Amino acid sequence: MINRKKFDFVLLGLLILLILIGCIAIYSASTTVVSGFKGTQNYWWRQIIFAMVALVGLMLVLWLPMPIFDILILPAFIANILALIMVLFTPAVSGAHRWFSIGGIHFQPSESAKLLSILVIARNISRDGYSDYRKMFNGFAIMLIPIILIMIQPDIGTILVFFVSLIAMLVAADVPLFYILLILSPAISVVASIHWLGIVLWLVFLIGILILSRLSWVTITVAGIGNAFVSLVMPVLWMGLKDYQQNRILTFLDPTRDPLGAGYQIIQSKIAIGNGSIFGKGWLGGTQKNMNFLPEHHTDFIFSTIGEEFGFFGSIILLGVFAFFFARMIRAASELKVLERKVATSGIFAYLISQSFINIGMNIGLVPATGIPLPFISYGGSNLLFNTLSVAVVLKYMNERGFMK
Amino acid sequence: MTKSTRVFSIFSLILLAILLVSLFYLQVIRGEYYQQVAESNIFRIRRVFATRGEIYDNKYRPIVQNIPSHDLYLTTNKIGDLNALARFLFLHLQIEEKELMEIVQKQRFKTYEEILIADNIDYEKVLSLSEYLNYYPELTFRIGSTRDYLYPNHFSGYVGRINEEEYEKYYREDYSLNGYIGKTGLERYYEVLLRGKDGKEIVQVDSRGRSLGFFSQEEGYLKALNGLSLVLTIDNDLQNFCDKVFPSHLKGALVVSDIRTGGILAYVSKPDYDPNIFMQRISPEVWKELNHKNKPMLDRVIHATYPPGSVFKPLTAGCGMEKGLVNRNTRFSSCGGGFKYGNRYFKCWLHSGHGITNVIQALTQSCDVFFYELSLKLSLDEFKDYAVRSGFYGKTGIDLPNERRGFFPDTEWYKKKYGPSIGISGHKVNLSIGQGEILTSPIQMNAYYAALANKGQWIQPHLLKQTVGRSRLTASEVQPLKKMKLPLSDKDMALILEGLYSVCNAPNGTARVVQVPGAKTFGKTGSAENSMGKTTHAWFCGHIETDKPEIAVTVFMENAGGGGSIAAPVAKQVFDYYIGNIEDIKRTVAIPAQFRTAEDEEEALDEEFIPFDESEIEESLSEEEGEE
Repeated sequence: MINRKKFDFVLLGLLILLILIGCIAIYSASTTVVSGFKGTQNYWWRQIIFAMVALVGLMLVLWLPMPIFDILILPAFIANILALIMVLFTPAVSGAHRWFSIGGIHFQPSESAKLLSILVIARNISRDGYSDYRKMFNGFAIMLIPIILIMIQPDIGTILVFFVSLIAMLVAADVPLFYILLILSPAISVVASIHWLGIVLWLVFLIGILILSRLSWVTITVAGIGNAFVSLVMPVLWMGLKDYQQNRILTFLDPTRDPLGAGYQIIQSKIAIGNGSIFGKGWLGGTQKNMNFLPEHHTDFIFSTIGEEFGFFGSIILLGVFAFFFARMIRAASELKVLERKVATSGIFAYLISQSFINIGMNIGLVPATGIPLPFISYGGSNLLFNTLSVAVVLKYMNERGFMK
Repeated sequence: MTKSTRVFSIFSLILLAILLVSLFYLQVIRGEYYQQVAESNIFRIRRVFATRGEIYDNKYRPIVQNIPSHDLYLTTNKIGDLNALARFLFLHLQIEEKELMEIVQKQRFKTYEEILIADNIDYEKVLSLSEYLNYYPELTFRIGSTRDYLYPNHFSGYVGRINEEEYEKYYREDYSLNGYIGKTGLERYYEVLLRGKDGKEIVQVDSRGRSLGFFSQEEGYLKALNGLSLVLTIDNDLQNFCDKVFPSHLKGALVVSDIRTGGILAYVSKPDYDPNIFMQRISPEVWKELNHKNKPMLDRVIHATYPPGSVFKPLTAGCGMEKGLVNRNTRFSSCGGGFKYGNRYFKCWLHSGHGITNVIQALTQSCDVFFYELSLKLSLDEFKDYAVRSGFYGKTGIDLPNERRGFFPDTEWYKKKYGPSIGISGHKVNLSIGQGEILTSPIQMNAYYAALANKGQWIQPHLLKQTVGRSRLTASEVQPLKKMKLPLSDKDMALILEGLYSVCNAPNGTARVVQVPGAKTFGKTGSAENSMGKTTHAWFCGHIETDKPEIAVTVFMENAGGGGSIAAPVAKQVFDYYIGNIEDIKRTVAIPAQFRTAEDEEEALDEEFIPFDESEIEESLSEEEGEE
């Protein structure tokens, strides 16, 4: 099942390395020592069991014959969408309808939806003879189905990750960059609308690029007017919001506005990471986790434990492993010649890297707290499973390359 | 290199660079600063406890108050010598070493938080311990607040430290392990209203008073919202009188309710206990007393059910009327002191017998035979259905926790218990006079008799009148009151009331002691045989009318004797007291100043306002103040 000449052993090795680092960090995050008492919660060995399951899943994906794998994607996607609909009718767990609980095992269908929609979109937009417009339209249309279902369950971070993956797939599917710019332009207009100078500069830049790209005048005019409209309407919409609504958005963007909630967690996380300084406090030596500042220091805030115990050097090493890992993914995307697989690999790459960045950024106070875990490191079964399976898909494509062409 | 590879590489490098620069800034450049912050542990959230609502009677006189207390807190990460601490705590506060170890172990993820280890310590003890505290930096005294229950009673309940089970269950609702929670009675039932919402405060100032400046001072502060105070329907004067008038050597219950509102005016269960004993560590002697065979902790008004005996007869009569079996002129066979059914002989309480009676005379003299015979004409399941519709069998829904259900057997129940071939008629005969398997609580009886007096309108008994404080809610806004119509036509009801009137006023009535000048009294006595002892339970249920119905009184005494001789005189004293003090009991009291809201004040000022000129408004305001 493994072709020695083609299989990317390095990528697999990096994956396992990341999971191991995760287990070590989780062990430390769930252990405390206080005046002679040492206590460890049982998260770390559960994570090891999850890892075993995930690796078995990875082998299954590799073992599955390629034609069967290809046939299975669409039905699996449809089943997943049905699961997303059904999960809305389950009782809420901490305010959100996200989980199926069967016999003590929690399953979150939005996790598998990410991977499966990437694969379905990749297949659709790689068809021969699709125009750039068609690709963009289809990509959005397919992505919209799970997004709407996830929107009903409040989970903004996931939607962001979806969006980044789609953009990456369009890039890989050879959609010209100015179209990407066009797609992103309304979002940039929203940001630019903070200041009138921002609006002016942005519109000049946008129209300039579009003219240089020799787009039709109709497109340029529509884009220009549309974006100007968005930037001008935003302040009006903003003023129309109630105070508490404005506050919620502002607090999401800047958690320090909410010192007793999200802001407190982020400051504690920053203190922990800063406390690690250059060389760190050593494994199990972290003190900030004792302060009960975060219920999630083994999940979303695992990086703060790593930062505190292994310091700046530790952080660099972890980032280095991640960088190496993602470099391998980029390499895979460029080596794959079947367009569908190249596009899918790009989507998976973007999906993993955006999660990693958002999570670490949240730990050091750069980006809003959205509840996105750190891939392969954070504690959590379904997350680890589907992240691993997405890498398995890339490994499978690499293994099978040259088979078709 | 393809285009997408280039884009992805640049994208990844930018993200990597952003993270590296931020981490370098955080860990290398600012590392020393954060190390200081981490070492001194100054940044954390402190809870600001909300003040629990107090409880008042219907004239805003206190029943439960807050008073300051001295509490001892422990911070585990400051513990120097654990053994010495254990010895010290055991010596002075009787805290076992095991208990201490458990606390330390449990708090291992919260080592910087203060844990309440002893509350409500005597002031003298505080003084004597204070001098030792220098040796134990891990211990701190703090002023907190505790409850003061002004008189022994069963309805207020009491609060206590939240225990592990409760914490597991409620921690999502922002309870602290150092906090209190209502354990029984109103304290438990209205926990949500009484409790309020704790505030939070960010501590970001080091020992030298320098602010860390993560947040501005007002940002890091969430004000505590104090709990709502409860105003009850209880009248402290009447409650106090009822408490005194209930014979001290007897066990039982005394309930007085306002007929028109269903509000409870007095709620006595004897023997009782002082809830204040739960505010301190309970000594073994006190514990022994609480577990005395008389069960002082048992709330006999709602937590216990008893056979009602003859006070149940109006219901049997009502059921007969509904089925068309009884009217004013219905007469059954003559009572000669008993009734033979099959090969069993059911005695009437009066050996000499009552002769031939109609329903009014049967109620007046409490003739058992009349009801025995009526019962043979009723089907058991219809009888039960009638009892259910009259508010027996289930719970009344009074606003207290753990109310006990009443019970009324049906055919199915008998078959299950005694086998399918059981003959039911004999049991039916017993049930007709409130004996046998039927069980009711005093509160159910009171609600039924109040409904008889209130034109058949049954109202859920309740203790809460309204809340005061942050928001003012009436009892029905907190929780809609259940109301229902008794299954009695106006004519039938008049007939039953005539019987009840004659019980108290006819020369041969069983409760002829219960007569009050200037008012009409109604009632029914009961002497219920029971399995608890040889002496009967004494019951009296009734009400009093001036120009309109006033109060319903239920007296119940465990194994005390006859209802007419033991229970009825107590009810008479309550009626006498009520009529003697009716003006004072019914007067309305203005809401005290501390509970007045801005709206109340505004209402008073409203007419003066013509808001054209600001200075004018200020003038009129200052005039108002001057007048006051």
